[in-house]
Amino acid sequence: MPRYRICYSKHGPARYISHLDLVRALERALRRAGLPVAYSEGFNPHPRLSFAAPLPVGSEGLAELVDVETTAPVARRELAGRLNAALPRGLSVREVTEVPENAPSLMAALDSAGYIVHVDAGDLPACPPADAVRSFLALDHIEVTRRGKDGQEKVRDIRPGILDLKMLSVDGDLILELRLKTGSAMNVRPEEAVEAFLRHAGLAVDRADLRITRTGLFAGDSVLSKQPG
Amino acid sequence: MDMNKLVEKALNRVQKPGRYAGGEWNAVRKDWHNTGVKMAFAFPDVYEVGMSHLGLQILYSVVNGRDDALVERVFAPWVDMEEQMRKTGLPLFSLESRKPLRDFDIVGFTLQYELSFTNILNMLDLAGIPLRSAGRERGDYPLVVAGGPCAFNPEPLADFIDAFVLGEGEDVIHELLDACLEARRRGEGRRELLLRLAGIDGIYVPSFYQVEYNERGLVQSVTPVVAGVPARVKKRVVADLDKVHYPTRMIVPAIEPVHDRAMLEVQRGCTRGCRFCQAGVIYRPVREKEPETLLRQAEELLASTGWGEISLTSLSTSDYSRVGPLIGALAEKHGGAGVNVSLPSLRVDAFSVDLAKEVQKVRRSSLTFAPEAGTQRLRNVINKGVTEDDLMEAVTAAFAGGWHAIKLYFMIGLPTETGEDLEGIARLAHRVLERGRGLVKAKGRLKVTVSVSSFVPKSHTPFQWEPQNTLDELRRKQEFLRARLRGRGLVFNWHDPESSFLEAVLSRGDRRLAASIEAAWRRGCRFDGWSELFDLDKWRAAFAETGIDPGQYAYRRYEYEDVLPWDHIGAGVSKKYLVREHRRAVAGEKTPDCRGGKCPGCGLCPALEIRPRLAGGESVAPLQDLLQ
Repeated sequence: MPRYRICYSKHGPARYISHLDLVRALERALRRAGLPVAYSEGFNPHPRLSFAAPLPVGSEGLAELVDVETTAPVARRELAGRLNAALPRGLSVREVTEVPENAPSLMAALDSAGYIVHVDAGDLPACPPADAVRSFLALDHIEVTRRGKDGQEKVRDIRPGILDLKMLSVDGDLILELRLKTGSAMNVRPEEAVEAFLRHAGLAVDRADLRITRTGLFAGDSVLSKQPG
Repeated sequence: MDMNKLVEKALNRVQKPGRYAGGEWNAVRKDWHNTGVKMAFAFPDVYEVGMSHLGLQILYSVVNGRDDALVERVFAPWVDMEEQMRKTGLPLFSLESRKPLRDFDIVGFTLQYELSFTNILNMLDLAGIPLRSAGRERGDYPLVVAGGPCAFNPEPLADFIDAFVLGEGEDVIHELLDACLEARRRGEGRRELLLRLAGIDGIYVPSFYQVEYNERGLVQSVTPVVAGVPARVKKRVVADLDKVHYPTRMIVPAIEPVHDRAMLEVQRGCTRGCRFCQAGVIYRPVREKEPETLLRQAEELLASTGWGEISLTSLSTSDYSRVGPLIGALAEKHGGAGVNVSLPSLRVDAFSVDLAKEVQKVRRSSLTFAPEAGTQRLRNVINKGVTEDDLMEAVTAAFAGGWHAIKLYFMIGLPTETGEDLEGIARLAHRVLERGRGLVKAKGRLKVTVSVSSFVPKSHTPFQWEPQNTLDELRRKQEFLRARLRGRGLVFNWHDPESSFLEAVLSRGDRRLAASIEAAWRRGCRFDGWSELFDLDKWRAAFAETGIDPGQYAYRRYEYEDVLPWDHIGAGVSKKYLVREHRRAVAGEKTPDCRGGKCPGCGLCPALEIRPRLAGGESVAPLQDLLQ
């Protein structure tokens, strides 16, 4: 069955919907678009969709990925055009590519993601010192506490999962660019990394004030998707 | 900080921000500055509940269909969102344009259940709109209107709402909007606008009426105090459901609503005449839609929304005269695309099980039936035209057809109920279970669930004069059933009687309850329909503080001669008919459904100049007072 990789963005009002709701939204959009989507077998058939990695509620995604299987070949431009016309505000298709038959699944391939995190000047007690990034990345261990689903607190070292961190400042707002491990092997959340960095710089911010944008998805050194420009 | 920034800050701090984000498929965003009249449709419950409501979709589509009007949605913010709003001073805003509610010309609440009343006050307060109509006389505040089932006893909310709209909204909403536009063109003030509205059929402006009470503490009279205002306001009904606008471009909710499917209304009204049922009165008469209309609307709905399921909605869909062929045609047309048809409620008979078999290829869920009472005597009293044989036939067909779980709905505290009737509930449940044992192969999965709710007397029904059982009686009855509904394969569910008590107080309340509702809200009552937030103690304190004995409202037995707080609101059926129905109830006499051609003389057709209508153009000719 033909498989297409859809690169899309999730922004505006759509960034407030959960991953499950996004799946429902896409299912409906595919129906409205009248595309020959392949359905799963069983009592409760669903379109055969497989996502790269769920995006947390509230985060924006500029180059998210989902693979969709169809029962017949569709021209890539047609697929993009028809789906775009059927997507709600905040979801849009950027690009469609064909996936070779034996290509690994997105979830298996993905191992890191790029982020931009924006903190308004008003939400920041002070600007981090210029050398904060260098000294942060020089740390051997960066321990963070995360509360698991069972309510137990777990301490983890996220340093190996922080591949890159850059600090850009515009108009007093703090803008951080990160590359973090994501996927099944190791997963670092951007808010964890940013919080750890700001703590290192002696600053405390409210997690809810971080504006997080996922800008691209990567498999090792190869780019799975990336925001254009 | 600008509005958008405030909203985003709040959204990042709540559990389900999708409730407030808007931007859904088919949501309409119009040019704010170039639209004449702006209305906010306010649903006093959470997004997931409100978005499952057909009335919202209908009015949204009707109003936005006009060039000179727009309507945007707003829902009750959940407690976490309210906390954020109060902390940051963010006013209640609409989903579409994120405009503060205060900037609208009209704020329209839908009154679906009494336990949402405190949410209305909370929403007005969060919007910065004075709670009481009197407080809105000066200042450029939106007109606050309300409609829906609870508008049929509007009195407890009379002080808070400027105008109530009675009955079906499709036509009268245009008259309301036109009146607003006309009043503005003429530069009229608020009072002139209200006078204009009071002149429209189906609109009740409570501030133009004076209520007197007698020495027994009952309503003595409700009289218009302004010339030209009708003494009695009658509900509006749509004559032809095939011609009236139906929304086929429904908003597709962004987060999962309670009912996540396309809604196809196959008919309006139910004339079975269950004597406890208010919907059966206020949505009279029965008006079926033609199958061709429905097939066309189904096609448009599915294409424009992408929903994979379509629900045939009405008060009693098995009663729709063309239901079998309709289901067949829908399956033939859309089944290939994987669209499922669903039926919301099943009549208690084998025919309905056959329908369920047709639409439910997989017997995953349970089937639900509502015999409502445990003995034939009591079922006759409530005029539930169901026999034990009907029920046994239905469950036999269900078990034989592959279902292994059955839900049975009953009511306790019905007028004339005795221990025998309660025994009857337990006996029926055991009999159904026994039948299942003989027919269900996977015995371990056999399940009979008995759900019991408490009778609440409602305005405009034959039981409007009846008292509710006391909380102690209801609890004792629940206990009685619980002891008899134990064992393998049986599940007993009951509805919290405390919230039914409050429902009874509010549903038969008068204007004196306004102070209590406000006091309850000030004490923190919100989302009273949500068991995790409902707190009867706060309400009790509110009643005490405002000098109201709630028991007087819930437990009072009215005399036929008494003036009822809602007597000036006309639902179409005559009081004479309701009295007769009440007498027949007590005598255990059944009254037939006028669908069969025999008119029981409810008085609605001549009063509202309308007729019942079945598909195919058949009309049941109503004869007057046949049974008198």
